Amino acid sequence: MSRAASRTGAALRPGLPPFLACLALLLAWQIAARFLAVGGVPDALSTFRELPAIIGDREALGEIAASLRRMGAGFGLALLFSVPLGLLMGRSRLVSALVNPLLMVGYPVPKAALMPLIMLWLGVGDAAKILVIVLGVSLPIIYHSRQGARAVEEKLLWSAAAMGMSGPARLARIVLPAALPEILVGCRTGIVLALITMITSEMIARQTGAGNILFNALDMAQYETVYAMILVVSALGIALDVLFERLRSGLTGWAEPIPSPAIAPA
Amino acid sequence: MRAVAGSLHGLVGLAPIAGLVLAWQVLLTAGWVPSALLPSPGAVLARTVASLGDPAFLGHLASTLYRLAAGFAIALAIVFALGLAGATSRIADAALRPVIRVLAPIPKIALYPALILSLGFDDAPKIILVAADALFPILLATYGGAGAVEQKLLWSARAAGTSRAGTILKVVLPATLPSILTGSRIALVVACIVVFLAEMITSTDGLGYLLVRSGRAFQTVDMFVPLLAISAVGLALDGALAAARRVLLRGFPEEE
Amino acid sequence: MSEALSAPLAGRGAPAVPHPGPPMIGMAGVTKTFKRRDGGTHLALDTIDLDVAPGEFVSILGPSGCGKSTLLYIVGGFVAPSGGKVTVSGDPVTGPGPDRGPVFQEFALFPWKTVLGNVAYGLREGGLSRRDAEARAGELIERVGLKGYERFYPQALSGGMKQRVAIARTLAYGPKILLMDEPFGALDAHTRIKLQNQLLELWERDRKTVLFVTHAVDEAVFLSDRVAVMSRQPGRIKEVVAIDLPRPRHRDELLLDRRYQRHVIDLERMIEDPPDLAS
Ligand SMILES: Nc1ncnc2c1ncn2[C@@H]1O[C@H](COP(=O)(O)OP(=O)(O)OP(=O)(O)O)[C@@H](O)[C@H]1O
Ligand SMILES: [Mg+2]
Repeated sequence: MSRAASRTGAALRPGLPPFLACLALLLAWQIAARFLAVGGVPDALSTFRELPAIIGDREALGEIAASLRRMGAGFGLALLFSVPLGLLMGRSRLVSALVNPLLMVGYPVPKAALMPLIMLWLGVGDAAKILVIVLGVSLPIIYHSRQGARAVEEKLLWSAAAMGMSGPARLARIVLPAALPEILVGCRTGIVLALITMITSEMIARQTGAGNILFNALDMAQYETVYAMILVVSALGIALDVLFERLRSGLTGWAEPIPSPAIAPA
Repeated sequence: MRAVAGSLHGLVGLAPIAGLVLAWQVLLTAGWVPSALLPSPGAVLARTVASLGDPAFLGHLASTLYRLAAGFAIALAIVFALGLAGATSRIADAALRPVIRVLAPIPKIALYPALILSLGFDDAPKIILVAADALFPILLATYGGAGAVEQKLLWSARAAGTSRAGTILKVVLPATLPSILTGSRIALVVACIVVFLAEMITSTDGLGYLLVRSGRAFQTVDMFVPLLAISAVGLALDGALAAARRVLLRGFPEEE
Repeated sequence: MSEALSAPLAGRGAPAVPHPGPPMIGMAGVTKTFKRRDGGTHLALDTIDLDVAPGEFVSILGPSGCGKSTLLYIVGGFVAPSGGKVTVSGDPVTGPGPDRGPVFQEFALFPWKTVLGNVAYGLREGGLSRRDAEARAGELIERVGLKGYERFYPQALSGGMKQRVAIARTLAYGPKILLMDEPFGALDAHTRIKLQNQLLELWERDRKTVLFVTHAVDEAVFLSDRVAVMSRQPGRIKEVVAIDLPRPRHRDELLLDRRYQRHVIDLERMIEDPPDLAS
C-alpha cells in the first residue's frame, strides 16, 4: 500500500529525490567543513559565494563553453563511426575477430595520456583535443554496440531476410533498434570517459578549458576557486546525465524493465 | 576443425595490429615524420623488453598495480556494504538511490585537486580516486541486476523454507553476480585509465609519472613504454576477470 | 447435441470428498484488486470460495487473464489477498512455507545451480547435510526420469526437462500441498502427455493435495477429482464439477470412456459461454 503510494508520489515529481540528495550532500559538506575542519576544505557556502566569479567571468564561461563544444564534436564524430562498426562486429564473426584485439589493447590506455604525442603532430589547437575525445569515447560505444548486436534474436533477422531486406538495411532497421538499449549503455560510459578525457587533456595541454581553470587555480593556491570549479564540473556531469537519461527513456521506453521489488513479496 | 577455425580467427585479429605497426614504420622510413617525434616500432619494442629487466621500471609498475588493487578492493567493499544495505532496508534503499544517481555522473577526476589538498601527494588521493571511479559502474550494474531478479526465483526459495533475509545471500547475490562482473569489467578499464592520469598529474612514481618524466626529457621512445605497460596490465586483469567469470557463472549464458 | 451429453454432471458447489476436520486448503471470500496506472482499480478476483480436501486433486480451469495464477500465488502466500481468508489445515496463511510447494509456469530454476543443486536446495534449507540432501535429490531426479543429468545446468536442458527438475525440486522438500501453475502449458503435446502420466503416477503414490491451474480442458478432466471453472472480469468461480472417473486412470482407456468425453464437452461449453452480462 505505502509502496504504491510512494511510487505514484515519485512519478509525480521524478526530480525530487535526486534534488533532495543534492541538498543532503551539500549539507554534509557544510557540516564536515565547519565542524570537523578537514584540512584546507572550504565550506559549501563560501564555495558557492565563489561561483559568481566564475560564472560571471566572460572568459572563463567562454572556455567552459569551448570545452563542451569540443566534447560534443568528439562525441558526435565517435558515434558516427563507432555504432556502425560495433553493429557490424556483432553480426560478423570475421569483422569481430579482425578488430576486437586492437580494441582490447587500446581500451585500458588512457587516451588523454596520448595528448603529448598528438599535440606534437596536430599542434595544441582544437583538432588534438577533439581527436583525443573521439578516441576516448569510441571504444565503449563500439564494445557495447557489438554486445547489443550479438544479442539480437536470430529469427528477427531471418524474417527480415525472408521479406527481402538487404544486409545493410537489416543492420540499420533491425539490428540498430534492437541493440539500442545496449548502445546507450555504451554512450553512458562514453560520457563519463569524455568528461575525464576532456578535463585531463586540457590539464595536460594547459591552454584553455575547464580542466585548465581547475588546475591553474590549484597551482595558484586559490582553493575556493578549485572547489567552485569542481562544483561547476560536477553540475556539468549531472546535467549531461539528466539530458542523456531523458533521451534514453524517450528512445527505449519499450525496453524498460518493469520495476519490481527485489526481495519483499507484495 | 573447430579449433583450427578458432585459432585462425585469433590470428586474423593480429592483422590490424600488424598493419598499424607497419604503417608506423612506413611513415618513418619514407621520412614523412621525423624520428625525433616518433620513434621506430623496433626501438619501442627493444626498450620495452629492456625495461622488463629494469628494477626501477618494475618498481613503478608495482606502485601503479598497488594503487589499482587497493582502489578496486575499496570499491568492491563499498559496493558490498551499500548493496546489502539497499537489499535489506527499504529506507536505506530509498535514501541511497538518489545519492548514487547524483554522484555517479560527476567526473571524479575533477575531485582530484580537492583530494590532493586534503590528503597530500601520497598514495591516498590516487587510491581514493581509483575507488571513486571504479565504484559507480559496479554499483549501477549491481542495482540494475538486483532490481531485475526474477520474482519467482525468490518465491521458489521462500517456499522451500529460506527466510526473507536468507534470500539476499542465496538468491539475490548469485542472480546479480553476472551484472556485478559486467560492471567490474567496465570499472577495471576506467580504473586503469584514471590511475595513470592521476600519476601523470602529480606523482613521483608509477607508470603515469614515467610518461611525464620521459616527455619532459623529450625521450619519445620512453613515452611509449608506460603506455604499452598499462595496456598490458588492463588486458591481463580483464583476462583474469573473464576467467573468474567462466568459473563463477557456469550456469549462465556466455557473454563473449 | 444429445440430451445425455448436454446434461450437466454436477452443479455449483459440488461437495468435496467427505472428510473429517478442516479442509487442507480453505479459501473464503478471497478477493484481489490491483491498482491501475490511471489510478483506478481492477478487480482480478471476486469472492472466491473453495475448499480442497486432504489428498484431493483440484484443477482451476479458466480463460487467460481470469486470475488463476493470482489465486495460486495467494494460496502460496506470495501475494496478500485484498479481502477474504486463506487457511491451510485450518491455520491462516501469512506467507510462503515449505508445506506448500509451488511449480511455476516459468520453471524458475536457479540458473547458477546444477540440476542436483536445484533439487537439493530445499533439503539443504531443511537442515539436511549435503550428502543426505544430494542422495535424496538423486532419487527424485531418477524418479522424474532425469538420471544422468545431475551435473547439467538448467540452461542446457529442454523445456520439458526443466519442468521435471522444477517438479522434483518442489517434491524434494516434501510439501503437503502442490501448487502447480500451468506446469505443462509451454510443452509440446507429446511431452505434455508423458508428464501428465508421470504426475498422476506420483500423485497416486503419495496422495498429496494438489491445486492445479490449467486452461486445457482435457488435462483438467484427466487429472482431477474436481474442476473449478472460472470466468473472467471479474475472476469468479462459475462452477465446480466433480470428475467421477475411476482411478488409477489410463489415458487410452479414458479417451474411449463416454463419461470422460462428456466431461470434456461440458467443460468446454462452460468456458466458451459468453461472459455473464447480467452480473
Ligand atoms: N501485479 C499485477 N498488477 C496489476 N495487475 C495484475 C497483476 N497481476 C495480475 N494482474 C491482472 O490480474 C488479472 C489476472 O491475472 P493472472 O495472471 O492471475 O491471470 P491468469 O488467469 O493466470 O492468466 P493466464 O492464463 O494468461 O496465465 C489480469 O487481468 C492481470 O492483468
Ligand atoms: Mg497465469
